[in-house]
Amino acid sequence: MKLLSIDDSKTIRRILTGVGGMLGYEVLEAENGEAGLRILAEHAGDVALILLDWNMPGMNGLEVLKAIKARDVWQHIPVMMVTTEGEKSYIVQAIQAGAVHYQTKPFTQEEMAARIMEALGMGGM
Amino acid sequence: MSQVVQSEMIEQVCQVVIEIMSTMAMVESVFVGVESRDTFFLSNEATGLVRLSGSHDGMLGVCTSQAVLRVVMSNLVGMDVDAVGSDDLMDGIAELANMISGSFKARARLGGMHLSSPVAILGKEYVATWKTSQPTQILTFQLSEGTLQVSVSL
Repeated sequence: MKLLSIDDSKTIRRILTGVGGMLGYEVLEAENGEAGLRILAEHAGDVALILLDWNMPGMNGLEVLKAIKARDVWQHIPVMMVTTEGEKSYIVQAIQAGAVHYQTKPFTQEEMAARIMEALGMGGM
Repeated sequence: MSQVVQSEMIEQVCQVVIEIMSTMAMVESVFVGVESRDTFFLSNEATGLVRLSGSHDGMLGVCTSQAVLRVVMSNLVGMDVDAVGSDDLMDGIAELANMISGSFKARARLGGMHLSSPVAILGKEYVATWKTSQPTQILTFQLSEGTLQVSVSL
């Protein structure tokens, strides 16, 4: 199984690829929402978790999240928001739209690994 | 903005920078001082810039040398310092500005403030200035490889 990181920052995608690798997961990378949806269409059966940024050019993270949850074949895939937006209103919007976790930046690699495991149902905090 | 609020802003930015450097980049940073200027001013080899709008209007910039940024990026993404290229530096300084401004917004509870996509500037010599409605506070941090400055006008 694979993780899908959708983030316009190559730096963040690399960090998440490193964390995913530590956990034994290959991480697919998309630099914006539209590319993320294309990759998801090709690999939906292999994606165990989507790590989704909020602020991106083009579709923002909430729009991508809603697009994912609107498709029957994708809506079972858990989505974790990974973003600098830490306001309660943003968190509520994401959870209401179907995100299972909300991780704000900054984070340690250990913290992110624990959150990924938790989102995958493999451990608690 | 009153002096009291300015001092709170400086304290919050300090906390955010030190936290991001320690948790994400595993780099110790020490706040060494703040300078106030009447215009927004950027000058160093690498700059990340975020425009602040909405309920508050201003700018936040992060400036450092390429040598410092290479070390930060090396730690951030787990690659050799020598392997860090210009594209990595551009993306990294932009993401640093994005994280610092986003974390500052959350910590200061500036809910109605919007952050622009970060702008990255990389070069040997440049000076960039903007007219802003508020003075710019330039916070300097000492890292092992050199200094990092965060400029805020709000």
